[in-house]
Amino acid sequence: MSMNNFSILLDNLLLNSSKKIKIKLLYEYFEQANSNDRGWTLSIITNSIKKKNIHLNDLKNLIKNKISPELFDLSYDYVGDIAETISLLWPKNKCSNLNLSLSDFMNNIFFIDNKETILEKLENIFNSSASSQIYTIIKIITSGLRVGVSNGLVRESLVAFGKRSSSEIEEVWHGFSYPFFDFFEWLLGKSLPKYLKKEDLFHSFMLAKSIDNKIFLEDPNNFVAEYKWDGIRAQIIVSSTFKLFSRNSEDITDSFPDLKFNLNDNYIIDGELVIKKENEILPFNILQKRTRRKKITNKILNELPAHFIAYDILYFKGKKCTHMNLNKRKDLLSKFISKINKDNITFSPSINFSKWKELEFLMASPLNNHIEGLMIKRIVTKYEKGRVANSWFKWKKEPYTIDFVLMYAQRGHGKRSSFYSDFTFGCWVDNTFDKLVPIGKAYSGFSNEELNQLDKWVRNNTLERFGPVRSLKSKLVVEISFDNINHSDRHKSGVALRFPRFSRIRWDKPANEVCILKDIKSLIN
Amino acid sequence: MKLTNANWLIKKKEGLYCIPGDFYIDPLYPVKRALITHAHTDHARPNNHLILGTKETIEIMKIRYAKSYCINYQVINYNSPLTINNIDITFIPAGHILGSSQILIEYNGCKVLISGDYKRVEDKTCKGYQNKKCDIFITEATFGLPIFSHPFDKDEIKKLLESVIKNNQKPHLIGVYALGKCQRILSLLRDAGYDEIIYLHGALMKITDYYVSEGVRIGKVKNTSDLNLSELKNQIILCPPSALHDKWSRKFKNPIKGIVSGWMNIRQRIKQKNIQLPLIISDHADWDDILLTTKENNPEKVLVTHGREEALVFQLNKLGYDAKALNLLGYEDEYE
Repeated sequence: MSMNNFSILLDNLLLNSSKKIKIKLLYEYFEQANSNDRGWTLSIITNSIKKKNIHLNDLKNLIKNKISPELFDLSYDYVGDIAETISLLWPKNKCSNLNLSLSDFMNNIFFIDNKETILEKLENIFNSSASSQIYTIIKIITSGLRVGVSNGLVRESLVAFGKRSSSEIEEVWHGFSYPFFDFFEWLLGKSLPKYLKKEDLFHSFMLAKSIDNKIFLEDPNNFVAEYKWDGIRAQIIVSSTFKLFSRNSEDITDSFPDLKFNLNDNYIIDGELVIKKENEILPFNILQKRTRRKKITNKILNELPAHFIAYDILYFKGKKCTHMNLNKRKDLLSKFISKINKDNITFSPSINFSKWKELEFLMASPLNNHIEGLMIKRIVTKYEKGRVANSWFKWKKEPYTIDFVLMYAQRGHGKRSSFYSDFTFGCWVDNTFDKLVPIGKAYSGFSNEELNQLDKWVRNNTLERFGPVRSLKSKLVVEISFDNINHSDRHKSGVALRFPRFSRIRWDKPANEVCILKDIKSLIN
Repeated sequence: MKLTNANWLIKKKEGLYCIPGDFYIDPLYPVKRALITHAHTDHARPNNHLILGTKETIEIMKIRYAKSYCINYQVINYNSPLTINNIDITFIPAGHILGSSQILIEYNGCKVLISGDYKRVEDKTCKGYQNKKCDIFITEATFGLPIFSHPFDKDEIKKLLESVIKNNQKPHLIGVYALGKCQRILSLLRDAGYDEIIYLHGALMKITDYYVSEGVRIGKVKNTSDLNLSELKNQIILCPPSALHDKWSRKFKNPIKGIVSGWMNIRQRIKQKNIQLPLIISDHADWDDILLTTKENNPEKVLVTHGREEALVFQLNKLGYDAKALNLLGYEDEYE
């Protein structure tokens, strides 16, 4: 497979926003590519190769003696991407387009350690390459690919391509490393390589269903209740190494060095990752500040210390315990917690209750910001992957609802590209009711019919157009529901809503009956 | 502000003005006398008293503006000089669209060539570009950056046809500028051997009919309103770029959307347009062609207008020309 095919794949992934089409593009590519190109492609699009000895500036220097810096700068101003600017400006030799295969490039060029040697080789390749090939090579070599492909999406394409299910792939692929040749062999039916041990690998999480009122007819003693923490689901795997995985099986070990510990035995722990400072769990948007960081500095570790609230255990001392019931697992888990004796890994306490009414009372009382609701778990159930019927239930707090005024509308993507479907809403700055301040964005919660009505309303009530965005007359009131509200320094209004969505459109309500910013701020506890 | 060596040609708020001839070139507002390079709406505006232009330019203006296209007009043929108050005016084919011209103005022994919009590559829908020696060359700079090197139009058409074959159940909605680009694409598709009916958005019909009446080979086209939506498969449907994400586009299920434009070589620009099929075909000269044209015309001075002047002025000065930006406003070409 030539580099050109890979370039085309990347461009198509960038330009198609539909998830279904992206999966199809990847699947078709894997079908056509040979086994080496497959492996390298997977390595590149999942960003699995950590090598950073070539920077964009080195490549900028390469082109400097081919074009005057003034023209480079003016071009870069226009294009806005250095790799693309270089690829478009590189003098073209129209008759010779080097037919380089992706594997050849990865095997012979990519890993050259000597900077001068590799730059010289790159220059030679660029001299007989079309723009798209130059662009692709620069993106590969600087790990700068951004084509909107999540690991989950890649996994779906691998399910279509190979003989393994999504959860099988999820569980093992982190055990492999680039160039993934043996991974593809496994995918096509060969057994797992010997160096991979099941107990070292990620295990798919057990998930909860929404609360089912039928369980309230059952004996409360069959269940355990816990708080539902508002953090991110994570799995700790200790063996010869320490690893931390997120809900979508992403290896996030390096982002949380403060959780790390060593034990010689093998343990797998399920729990929730939060930020806890001075004995207080901080809200989700503070956690996001940390997960967004690429580099974890000491300052971050001090300001945003990570904490792991453990609630289940899958392996204890190298032995599988997923077949045991919840109480037995919890016993083992508490043994584990006391054994490692770390301040920032603690046990998720069970809530004592003997009647369902007590939990209902708890749900009705104002809960802390970092608690989303309750988890109700049936004691007799084993730990199984996925959403298992009748075992775990999530009981979420009722969302808050507030009326806001629509301020801007933006056209959506894919099927919604001709509809104004993404809305910015706001409230009044103060009680003069003459200026709105944006509070958040919502693009779900309405029916297709309501979307049609909203789209029509937007087109008839536009003040100004800025490309795909329209500013709107301050007229239409919508009731927005959201799970939580917090202070934010990223938003002009100073508040951030968690998961805002439409709950209903108040066609009849006058805009000046919507509240002012002060009222909204007073909701933050 | 004066143009050096030709202080009889000045810049006014209406546009470029020739004092001894008392006429404007492509004025932005209605004037007494106007020379029109070509019929695109940013160059040819309505309600002038008297316009001078090629037959095609004037006829297209009439189609677009109906009664307000002008009060009076005078037709000029290519390469047939006309003398007004000791000024010789010659219209020279610009290769941009049907009827498009460069204008050569000669006064007191000084030749000023105003390029209008031009392209050098072959285009069967209009008369081919011709070069002309001059003292002062006023060139457009729509693609005046070295990042613009237009690929072969035939290769881009191949891209479209390959997509039509590969996605044989998906209609292809292709955004094209109504005047010039639309008909060039039709002509290129026919040359590439595509002989299915091509469907046109209503806004593209009138001008295309005019091209047909002028003998341009367009093949069988129909208005999209004649398209039976239950027979929708991989038809090629041309429309104005603004219609791609308009309500109009909703009736076509799972379309592939494309835009034909010289800008489509930049990824983020394509992404911004929310399309999957960029086709880089332009009716303007690219960077190399602007430089080549300047070399052939061999002027003493070059004035650069509408587009990315800065880079071009820099490069022309470096090549030894006396080049400046003219800073005429009002000529926009987003969908070129």
